[in-house]
Amino acid sequence: MKIETTLSGSFPKLPLEPGAPNVRVVRNRMDQGKATEMDLAEATRETTRRIVALQESAGVDLPVDGNVGWDDAQTAVARGLGGFTIAGLIRYLDTNTYYRQPEITGDVAWTKPVTVDDFKAAQGMAHRPLKAVLPGPYSLYRFSRDRHYKDPNRAVAAVGQALAGEAKALEDAGATWIHFEEPWLGRATAADAPLVAAALEPVLRGRKAKTMLHVPFRSPGAVFGSIRDLPWTGIGFDLVEAPDAWNLIPKVPAGRTVGLGLVDARNTRLEDPARVAADIHRARSMRSDLSWQLCTTASLEYLPVDRAAMKVARLTEAARLASANGG
Amino acid sequence: MPRGLWTTTVGSFPKPPHLERARGQFARGEISADQLLQLERDATIEVIRSQEEIGLEILVDGELYRGDMTTYFAELMQGFQISNPVRSYGNRYYRKPVATGPVRRTKPWTVDWWKFAQSQTKKPVKGMLTGPYTMMDWSFNEHYPSREALAMDLAEAIREEAIALAEAGAQFVQVDEPAVSVRPEELKLAIKALGRAVEGVKAKTITHICYGDFDVIYPALLDLPVDMIDLEMANSRYDLLDRFKQHRFTKEIGYGVLDVHSHRIETKEEIKQGILRGLEFLKPEQMYIDPDCGLKTRTVEEAKEKLAVMVAAVREVREERGITA
Repeated sequence: MKIETTLSGSFPKLPLEPGAPNVRVVRNRMDQGKATEMDLAEATRETTRRIVALQESAGVDLPVDGNVGWDDAQTAVARGLGGFTIAGLIRYLDTNTYYRQPEITGDVAWTKPVTVDDFKAAQGMAHRPLKAVLPGPYSLYRFSRDRHYKDPNRAVAAVGQALAGEAKALEDAGATWIHFEEPWLGRATAADAPLVAAALEPVLRGRKAKTMLHVPFRSPGAVFGSIRDLPWTGIGFDLVEAPDAWNLIPKVPAGRTVGLGLVDARNTRLEDPARVAADIHRARSMRSDLSWQLCTTASLEYLPVDRAAMKVARLTEAARLASANGG
Repeated sequence: MPRGLWTTTVGSFPKPPHLERARGQFARGEISADQLLQLERDATIEVIRSQEEIGLEILVDGELYRGDMTTYFAELMQGFQISNPVRSYGNRYYRKPVATGPVRRTKPWTVDWWKFAQSQTKKPVKGMLTGPYTMMDWSFNEHYPSREALAMDLAEAIREEAIALAEAGAQFVQVDEPAVSVRPEELKLAIKALGRAVEGVKAKTITHICYGDFDVIYPALLDLPVDMIDLEMANSRYDLLDRFKQHRFTKEIGYGVLDVHSHRIETKEEIKQGILRGLEFLKPEQMYIDPDCGLKTRTVEEAKEKLAVMVAAVREVREERGITA
């Protein structure tokens, strides 16, 4: 049986070929007054087209748009929601990348679509449905500093409701899958379980689109009990950095989808597709009542573009092997 | 009369535009290594003069000859290759080291630069290195079986350089570990690796840490085996002081008062307030006043203006509080 392939989050923005449209070059030229916002929009569009095409030509079943316009994984969305202001630079967990910390300085609310235009534009370039990507509500809350509610329960509920508004807008725009990137689920403790559930409930309840909670870097084992019965379609595990997440597969409710994060997005070392296929077989032998996706452990933007492209090729090759072996 | 509030900087200074252009020209083969080296030496002299004019008390060489803080060292070591660019934030990219074999120091990395910079001034110039944990964490690893194995090999190599700097006369050797603040479960490894890197180094040892989750790593951070820990204070609106209130900061501190990611020039008054808040929990002789982090992301003019305001603020606090240098 074929295993579906997908990516998690962003994709490197730089081109593989010299001379191709390059958002980095355009932004540098803008800083020098030599390029305009229109030039940047054009470079962003062409970069998105390239990223979608790369995935499609490699055979990725559920491509992403690469989040080309995003400076980091949080602020592009937080900036578009009511109640957030964007503050100082802070390191993004244990990655050597950074984000500007969103600060909750007023009532958090969804007031208008934030990512929908970009999603629709990218979908228009694709030959198959794209997966929309949003920050997960619990992680957006944890990445933020609450200077307004000063009450975690109220803050997390408001963030969840606001992102639910964006998820609905994406759904209305035709998104069939919505991916919520939730690194903080892997750092939450059992004491955080009520907050985690309160954050996730609004974005999952009543969704027409399928929903994927992807947890890079660590296992969400400490809070899995509290999210197990929420109405998500799939949950993605980082089985490279957090091999203990294998232990959660037996606990996933029947009929759901598990994202097998077996292609390491944080190291240039290339996977052997046969070994990845063997791990897919291992997962399938654990449960026959689940659906499966093969995915990267995290955003491929942690890698240089040449390695990211190779990883996509390894990902689809491993899926082909797994399918051919009936595993 | 108490002494303290010495002024310094974290390490990097902005490269002047002509040097940035020259580095590009060198990369394209349009100028020679000797031509680039001369420009780097001239720019280093200018940075030393600039620090003296501003009135800083402990100087740095400005790292104008370096690119990224890990890649610079990796390029000089055996066992590393360098990746294509990887994004760190927004439109900022860097080339990341890839450990493809055993990592080794086969020649000095910074000693000649330190000697050159020190020869330009009577004030002490810090020796500046990147720490083993950070080098490990910010590299791709295609060779070693574990993160610890790579970190400890790096510690050996960095120790050789730190000892060489001290033997050359450096009174201060700074081994930066910005990655320490983000993976608290590996703090013991970071302490072990940094401990090895500074073992036997006959100089005041410093480490710089920034942009992390201090709620989680403080006060365990104080176990880092160095004399001084340099921290960003302004970027987090001095929130770290709340932790110091709960658990006393027991080492010397590099006390960051300038947001290096903002074009805005801080006012003297806000810097003074930041220092005065620090003095509620710290003794002046513990405190070295500096920017939050390296200044390389600012323009030359912004860096000078920010530092001039910082020095003016320190002078006023010293005068008001009867503190001498």
